Amino acid sequence: MELANQHWERLSHGLFLRLVRHCVDRIFSGDESTEPGELDLSIATVLALLATPTAFVSLFCMDHYGSLLLFLRGQATDFDPYTASSSDEYFFIVLAMVVAGAAAVWKWDRLLPDRRDYANLAPLPIASSRIFLANLAALSVLAVVLSLDVNAVPSFLFPLVVCALQTSHVFGVFLATHTLTIVAASAFGFLAVFALLGILMALLPYRAFRKASPYARCGIVFVLMALLTTTVSVPRKMEHLRNVSHAWAYLPPPGWFLGLCQTLRGQRSPAMTSLGGAAIVGLLFALALSLAAYSLCYARCFAQSAETMANLPARRAARPSVVFRLLDPLLLRSAFQRACYRFAFRTIFRSEEQAFALGGFLSLGIVIASQTLLAAMNNRPSLTMSRAIPSAEILSVPLIVGFFLILGLWSVCAIPAPLRENWVFRFHVDSRSRECAPLARKIILTFVVPALATVCLPVYSHFWGWRVGVVHTALVAMSCVLLMEGLLVGFRKIPFTCSLPKFKSHVIVSVLLLVLGYFAFTSVTATVESWALVDPLWFVLFAPVVLGVSVWLYWWRRGMAENDRRILFEEQSITVVEVLNLNS
Amino acid sequence: MELALEARGLRKCYTAAPAVSDVTFGLYAGEVLGCLGANGAGKSTIVKMLTGLSEPTRGQVLWFGASIHKDLVAYRRRLGYVPEEPELYSYLSGWEYLEMVGTLRGMDRAKMAKKIDALLALFSLAPHRHSSIGSYSKGMRQRILLIAALLHDPEILILDEPLSGLDVVSALIVKSLIKTLGERGKAIFYCSHVLEVVEKVCSHVMILRKGKVIAYAPTAELHRMVGHASLEQAFVHLVADRDAEQTASEIVQVMSTGAA
Repeated sequence: MELANQHWERLSHGLFLRLVRHCVDRIFSGDESTEPGELDLSIATVLALLATPTAFVSLFCMDHYGSLLLFLRGQATDFDPYTASSSDEYFFIVLAMVVAGAAAVWKWDRLLPDRRDYANLAPLPIASSRIFLANLAALSVLAVVLSLDVNAVPSFLFPLVVCALQTSHVFGVFLATHTLTIVAASAFGFLAVFALLGILMALLPYRAFRKASPYARCGIVFVLMALLTTTVSVPRKMEHLRNVSHAWAYLPPPGWFLGLCQTLRGQRSPAMTSLGGAAIVGLLFALALSLAAYSLCYARCFAQSAETMANLPARRAARPSVVFRLLDPLLLRSAFQRACYRFAFRTIFRSEEQAFALGGFLSLGIVIASQTLLAAMNNRPSLTMSRAIPSAEILSVPLIVGFFLILGLWSVCAIPAPLRENWVFRFHVDSRSRECAPLARKIILTFVVPALATVCLPVYSHFWGWRVGVVHTALVAMSCVLLMEGLLVGFRKIPFTCSLPKFKSHVIVSVLLLVLGYFAFTSVTATVESWALVDPLWFVLFAPVVLGVSVWLYWWRRGMAENDRRILFEEQSITVVEVLNLNS
Repeated sequence: MELALEARGLRKCYTAAPAVSDVTFGLYAGEVLGCLGANGAGKSTIVKMLTGLSEPTRGQVLWFGASIHKDLVAYRRRLGYVPEEPELYSYLSGWEYLEMVGTLRGMDRAKMAKKIDALLALFSLAPHRHSSIGSYSKGMRQRILLIAALLHDPEILILDEPLSGLDVVSALIVKSLIKTLGERGKAIFYCSHVLEVVEKVCSHVMILRKGKVIAYAPTAELHRMVGHASLEQAFVHLVADRDAEQTASEIVQVMSTGAA
């Protein structure tokens, strides 16, 4: 990496290349205002993170296509790699598209020159067109590097795994078509997201775009996650699409690229040809739209930067914060809670990082819940909605959404708003205050309670009667409260004001616990509830769980030292050896 | 006059070399004490210790005779603080930020709202009160910090470069305000590296060099004690490592010839 950096520095000494290097550094490097404790990832870390999902999936494919296993299954001789691998091929296409698209969403704020670039570059004797082209070149570098990085491992590993027993010609064709397809899919994912956000930025007034941007990006993340859920159904549909000529109209974009891949491999049915054509047209269209969006956005955010910022009209008087004032006497009894509750909500809805992170969690929850619901309706359509008692899958839907909502809110509270600004809390707040966990509890409940009251209760009551509705809503509420209390044990931060937790040695255990917790929270709870709705005696099973968790929480809180209750503004790493400075 | 704030033997070490060493001074009610020093002299470190944001490695900060760390909350209730950098949450509006500060201080809502509106108008920020701080200029942010420090009518004010970024009119208002507050019995610790302002506004001056107090006297007497005609000459004599005119000539030479 060091050698590559030095080489890159030597190459980029000319004016234009130096500008390109500046733009690339801006896209990849941390913001200068990023403090230790805030999320800041180097180029190497970002590239490694982006390459990881596809690399892992490639390794898992060995199980499916291992030659020994094929031999043991008796499939070694009549194995057609092109047909047998179409589902996995589709999955790689989706993954490449989603990862590249997600990277575009994540880095969106850095892709275009901003006020700081304007302040530094505009006064220099550099033509505006040069800066325009340099940034365009940097974006092209990003798109190419992203496409290659995301697909580096699967482009050779997957063909190797699939075609281990095939001739070198078959292997070569497979390798070339697979690589071309997934790189094209990555490029499409990146360009499509860029074009969408860019067009939005070009069409909306500056202030409106700043407000809409987090929601637009959350929406895109939602769509990308929804694409992941098509990996089971779409390849099956495509197997039956032999003679339909406008197949692209029925399938999402990854289906077009699978069609392109199959067409290049010689599977030339009208459907595949149509899909392949759509993929090429789609890619070229995304490219053209991206270029147009870039030109329009450059004019707005760089060339007119001074005018845009100087002429921003003052905002209209804010509507009175009626909701906050209503909550003051009901929920927010202390000055600390009133101030920090308002701060937390304004941060969640106005700060992009927090809104984006919460949107990501919620999107994932909604997508998984939708998949569960669809699977339940596909499995037993005649029974699903007309039964007297809903199935375990149907019962698990609000639990899934609740899990991701609560986990998302808890995680988001740990993401700091700009850290240096937390001096106002360090200065004004008594560090011995024990109101952080109650505050976080109220923030979480503000999201959960209305969802339960306005969605869960009416929907279940409508389809299965008020008794099932009430019981189920109560059970979901109880589960959410237990989850929330478990996550908030030892919570002593004012949301968004503490540095990010340092990497801890037990993070892998924590992730495993979360995964197990998810299954316990959703599947197990819903299954036992479905039994209990038939035979109420099963409800007794919940009592020891509730009791056990409550007792554990009580003893944990009781055992905390006084210092462990103080408000935390900076996560400390646990050191093995500590210097005591006894001489000073 | 009552001794409002006292620093005794303050020492702060971040590394082996102390940032501040053996700093002792007293701040009386009605006094405006200026703290002068070059960059890196230790002014902001002293300010952080006075506000309780940083604990001294050695020494004490006393508030009416008692350590501030005995009841930091009560001390800060009487303290107004303007930090050196206007670090404010950019997505909050000016009004929302001040409301948050006022609420954190436990101020009555109705009185707080009136005060905020009045102070915003007096500091010429009323038209922008609902705009996000991210759209404010540096001077506007500085004014928000000043309002936040004055909102609760503190007894002690600690100001670190309060005029930074302010336009001429706003700077005149703030200078006049500091004088008036001093006459009304507030104790003000004014940190700056701008000599002219300190000379006009402060009744006493403390000069720092490399973390140590090298001069501490009433403003009118300091330059006479050091044997110079003005505070600027006294400061240069006490603090400056190199001759300003010679340094300026060397810079011009490098600019034109590329060599020192």
